[in-house]
Amino acid sequence: MSQFDTIVIGAGVNGLVAGAVLARRGKSVCILEQGDTVGGMAGLTSSDGPALAHLIYNLNSRVRRDIGLGGKDWPFKSKALPTVSLSEDGKHVVVDGAAVRFADGSDHPQATACSDLIRRLTRYGDLLRQLAEAPPPGGDSPVSRAGLKQLWWLGRFGLGVKRLGKSEMRAFLQVLLSNAYDFILDELPDGRLSGILAADAVRGAATGPRSPGTVFSLIYRMGHGGDVTLPQGGTAAVMETLSNAAKQAGCTLKTGAPVVRILTDNDHVTGIETASGDRVYAKQVLSSVAPLPTARLAGLHHFDIEATRRIRNIRARGTTAKVNLRLSRAPVIPGLPGNLLGARLLFAPSADYVEQAFNPAKYGDMSSAPVIEAVLPAPQMDRPWLSTIVQYAPSDLSGGWTDAAREELLQTTLATLARISPTLPELVEEAQVITPDLIEQATGAPGGHWHHAEMSLDQLLTIRPANLLGRYAIGPKGLFLCGAATHPGGDIMGLSGRNAALMALEKTG
Amino acid sequence: MTISPDLTLGLVLGPVHDRLEALSRTRNWYGWAGYAAPASVESVEFEYFALRNQASLFDISPMHKYRLRGRQAEAVLNRLVTRDASKLRPGRVGYAVWCDEEGMVIDDGTLFRLADDDWRLCCQEPMLDWLAEAAWGFDVEIADESYSLAGLALQGPTSFAILDAAGLDVAHLKSFDHAAAEPDLMISRTGFTGDLGYELWMPWDDATAVWDRIWTAGAHLGLRAIGYEAVNIARIEAGFLTAGVDFQPVQATERLNRGLTPFELGLGHMVDFSKGHFNGRRALLSAREAPRSLLMRVDVEGFKPAQGALVYHRKRREVGHITSGIWSPTAKRNIALAHVATPYATRSPTQLWAEVYTQEEGRWEARMARLTPVEGAFFAPPRARATPPARR
Repeated sequence: MSQFDTIVIGAGVNGLVAGAVLARRGKSVCILEQGDTVGGMAGLTSSDGPALAHLIYNLNSRVRRDIGLGGKDWPFKSKALPTVSLSEDGKHVVVDGAAVRFADGSDHPQATACSDLIRRLTRYGDLLRQLAEAPPPGGDSPVSRAGLKQLWWLGRFGLGVKRLGKSEMRAFLQVLLSNAYDFILDELPDGRLSGILAADAVRGAATGPRSPGTVFSLIYRMGHGGDVTLPQGGTAAVMETLSNAAKQAGCTLKTGAPVVRILTDNDHVTGIETASGDRVYAKQVLSSVAPLPTARLAGLHHFDIEATRRIRNIRARGTTAKVNLRLSRAPVIPGLPGNLLGARLLFAPSADYVEQAFNPAKYGDMSSAPVIEAVLPAPQMDRPWLSTIVQYAPSDLSGGWTDAAREELLQTTLATLARISPTLPELVEEAQVITPDLIEQATGAPGGHWHHAEMSLDQLLTIRPANLLGRYAIGPKGLFLCGAATHPGGDIMGLSGRNAALMALEKTG
Repeated sequence: MTISPDLTLGLVLGPVHDRLEALSRTRNWYGWAGYAAPASVESVEFEYFALRNQASLFDISPMHKYRLRGRQAEAVLNRLVTRDASKLRPGRVGYAVWCDEEGMVIDDGTLFRLADDDWRLCCQEPMLDWLAEAAWGFDVEIADESYSLAGLALQGPTSFAILDAAGLDVAHLKSFDHAAAEPDLMISRTGFTGDLGYELWMPWDDATAVWDRIWTAGAHLGLRAIGYEAVNIARIEAGFLTAGVDFQPVQATERLNRGLTPFELGLGHMVDFSKGHFNGRRALLSAREAPRSLLMRVDVEGFKPAQGALVYHRKRREVGHITSGIWSPTAKRNIALAHVATPYATRSPTQLWAEVYTQEEGRWEARMARLTPVEGAFFAPPRARATPPARR
């Protein structure tokens, strides 16, 4: 029998962060992971292919501080990648930070407009990040210490909005809840530019750029400066850093230990039971698993009927597949200089293209012309991997994700890539097609959704993942959610785990 | 089953409407869950005294009835209701209340355990969607029997003798027992009158035949068909609550804070915190010690029924209202159920007054009638519990 202060279920980004934060505050923590390796969904790999998440853009510095990695920088090196919006005519556009030009070095006529827009979005993102960095407000009396802290947070956010200046504040509030399509096309008529922002606004989501709330997701994605970075050593390096931090903080980390039951006694959690029948005891359990599987682990009868209803109505429809292609050599993309081969390559030639890619997904079909984000992490390597995120590949595909359906997705992906590099399909030696159903199978995330719950306006902040479940505590005393389904969501931010840990600490003192 | 809407009433006709219509002199129908139900049949006084001194027959088919069957039916019901359903043995009936997540009463009703994994829930409010919510993820099958199962309430001191005369042996039934008297005829020793009485449950289309059989057997035992007004007097005497009158079923309210906890309704004994989690348990644990008001049984000074009157503390501060108030012909008292805010309900219960309006020959007057709290039922005759019951 083993006894800890806290058990964390799942050693993904949020599980590891939650464990590390708690352990650094003096709690004895046991992190249990069902898989043989840590890293959760982001670190999910198939044999030696690249991980599910290939780029990092929202990893939070407060997380770094709270898991004991100091205030300066992450221990792994990472490189900010320029984004290339690929065009069939070879006139690719490069966005590097806020600088915009054609791939051949010539000036883009809408460069200034685009830079301005990116700067504006980054500024807005900075504001929203502040909301992400604390548990959502609510639940505490305004005269309590916790209540005052919340008021202070909200006040700071309000002040930040105010500091934008009158017209900017008005613009911010005007666009915040609207759709990305209208917002982007107002500023950027060039399809290659609008395509980048439209694709970034909906990546991983069951929305198209015309869906409401997509401006919010776009801004949210730029909450950490807007840079898209490639960590040296890949996602594995990030996960290793986090798991080292957890171990350093004193966490006991057990892999290959799937939790099958959360134990309770008299409405308090008492521990967990693993598949092998081992029991680990603790007064607190933080689950980075999605809400419904967590509730099932504890037993639905421990939850109020209304809570169960809310939990099972959380929308989590994955739409994104990972297609990894092993190439015999680095591909040739006409019009793209070799030094940009290692950039973030985006095939989203216009906002309309992105919206049209979404259309079939509404009805349970995959896109016939998908949006693709491709990264060649090591173009100079022999037989390099091309890591692509392909959208839309809905989890509820009509007919299900059969081998034939996966093959169809692969062929569609290759055909789409051939539009900008006709010779690329010939280079493919090996392909891994990781569809939402496989992601769900491997991680338990509902619908294989990388936020565990759609990041839509009705599932954000105090109502994330659902009304009255926004404060991490759920069901029996001592049980908390700490995964991507909670505020502020996934995207390898680490904040869900960190906020949940802080909330768990607050509840026990 | 056939539904024949009566266009003049806009109400659906119940399973024994033919019989009721033939007997009805008052033509005083009201809508009960969409059915045409008699408020009275001949005269409320005759009907009430038949109920208390002879026997009465009342159609309770408009009640909502749900069947829960399956391996986890008990788990679902225990999740739903505040009492421990597992303590109810097959063959027994239990009164139960159920709450929302905030601990506010959704409805009350009777729970019949037909077999280990076979239950029936009878209640006033439609509850199918709520039961389906409660059962999601559990191995249980829910059937709505509201339209396939008819119910007749035979209540009064001669009810046992009538069943006996009808050839139905229920001598062994104790209060809150139920048994299949015949195939397709279940009889429970339950009722809404606080008197000796039975409820007969049968397939919808059998109801007329059962009615006739009881009617014939009751001819010489003072049996009368009665309407709701007589039942209402009896149930207030017994101290029973009516949904929508003495409490507002919380799911049917639109305004905030109209719900009440079982503790506020005097049903604290129905809440079993030791049985594990049930809906609203966490909220009720903190609500237990801090009721906002209490439902009190009170004697009202004078004889004017205090229905709807406001309740004052020391004749000055408004602290509640009367939900049900009648002159009790049997107790010979002016009785009422009253919602009174805490702490007035407990701190100085002798200083509570109802503002009753009286009208004498065209002149209205407001009169303060002193309320005296009463413990237990206003009328609880020993004959209601005697087993075997007396014949008359």
